[in-house]
Amino acid sequence: MPVNIELKAIHRRVAEIIIDELKLEDVTPDTFNPEMDLVDELGIDSMDLATIALVLQDEYKIVIDEDDYPRLKTVRLICEYIEDKIATRH
Amino acid sequence: MKAKDRYSMTANPPTSVRPDRPKFRDLLARPDIRARWEKVRKYFFLRESTYDMTNRCNIRCDGCYYYEGDKPFAAENLSVPDWRKLMRAEKARGITYVVLAGAEPSLVPQLLEVCYAEMPLGCIATNGFKKIPEPVGYKIHISVWGNDETSEKTRGAKHLLQKQIENYRNDPRAVFVYTFTRENIEEAQGVAAQLVAAGCKMTFNVFSSPVGYAGSLRHDADTLLKTREMMLALLNRYPRQVLFSAYNAVAHTSDRGLHDLYGCSYPRRNPSQDIGLGRSFRQYRTDLNWDRSAACCVPDTDCADCRHYAAGSAVVTARLYRHVGDEDAFKSWLDYVDTYLAVWVMGYEKGENLCNKIIHPPRAAAG
Repeated sequence: MPVNIELKAIHRRVAEIIIDELKLEDVTPDTFNPEMDLVDELGIDSMDLATIALVLQDEYKIVIDEDDYPRLKTVRLICEYIEDKIATRH
Repeated sequence: MKAKDRYSMTANPPTSVRPDRPKFRDLLARPDIRARWEKVRKYFFLRESTYDMTNRCNIRCDGCYYYEGDKPFAAENLSVPDWRKLMRAEKARGITYVVLAGAEPSLVPQLLEVCYAEMPLGCIATNGFKKIPEPVGYKIHISVWGNDETSEKTRGAKHLLQKQIENYRNDPRAVFVYTFTRENIEEAQGVAAQLVAAGCKMTFNVFSSPVGYAGSLRHDADTLLKTREMMLALLNRYPRQVLFSAYNAVAHTSDRGLHDLYGCSYPRRNPSQDIGLGRSFRQYRTDLNWDRSAACCVPDTDCADCRHYAAGSAVVTARLYRHVGDEDAFKSWLDYVDTYLAVWVMGYEKGENLCNKIIHPPRAAAG
């Protein structure tokens, strides 16, 4: 099934935000693996994740409850979460 | 209903941002706030675990955490190779900060040295009677429970404060941690004056009863309020030597404990192993074993009464999300984190507090 354009844009923007907030090198939004486990593989911890969540809240005008942070384990899961939140908002 | 449930349950969970809630980027628009945020966030990589170093102590204090429960019955492992191996294994699983405590780490300097060689960030909790060798470059927290008269009464130690100051005067590693009990609130003034005159830095702790403790040190609502007033007075009088903030005072002297206010994230109270302390924190006993069900920074403390400074350093800090609802709450949180880092990390210098107002913990009723 082709990924729709909107979801692709969210993927790219989420990757940009993660790269920017974590000051990652040697990776671009285009090369960021959406399945990479941010905790296990990238080594981010709760404070980094909280920061990313706050920036995503600003970006997409949604609320990400702190109880939901553990669900945000990969870029793909973050994008699906954002999509759900936007859909609920409408 | 448990605190965590109360905080997270709403009849209609919000899905969009409240119109009056500032954006995170707007909170960071002020240069002084942005600068403090950038300063503290550099330390978000810290991941702690704690280690009992020996089951011996050279004094015996009323209400001591270490000698509650079964911790003191664990056999000592004094093998330097075993400790080196443990530190390497800890590093490999992502630990970046060690807290060496229980019962009295200064009695095993050879173990402190090997820990420091393997893991250069950390802190030692000591009674300060015996000086820890200077090559061990950790922060050193020296426990103070009152003036010499009170120390002799509750800790059976003569001239303790005098000895502590002799050992750690002008030592950049040292932070004197004054634990407020129900009985020593007023004498904090004299102790602070002594410490400040000797060029020492101090911070505050609040006595948190071990499970089952019914002794005279346990706080009540009235003594917590008096403790808060004394903390704020001393912070106001000695803003450079007292490492604290208005929000620290609020968080640690509420009539509700830290778990009730913030939801403790240590494994003992947090079943989640997804991320944060629930995932990585361990509390090792002297036999180098650990037990998830007992793992927190002050095991055998009554969680309902826990206002311990070490617990707050992790529990309050982890609640960034709750403190971004308005500028004062965010500034207060930044002050708290700035204080925590100045107390716990060598070389980190505390900045001037950004918010001197009394801000109640967000999502908690005024307490």
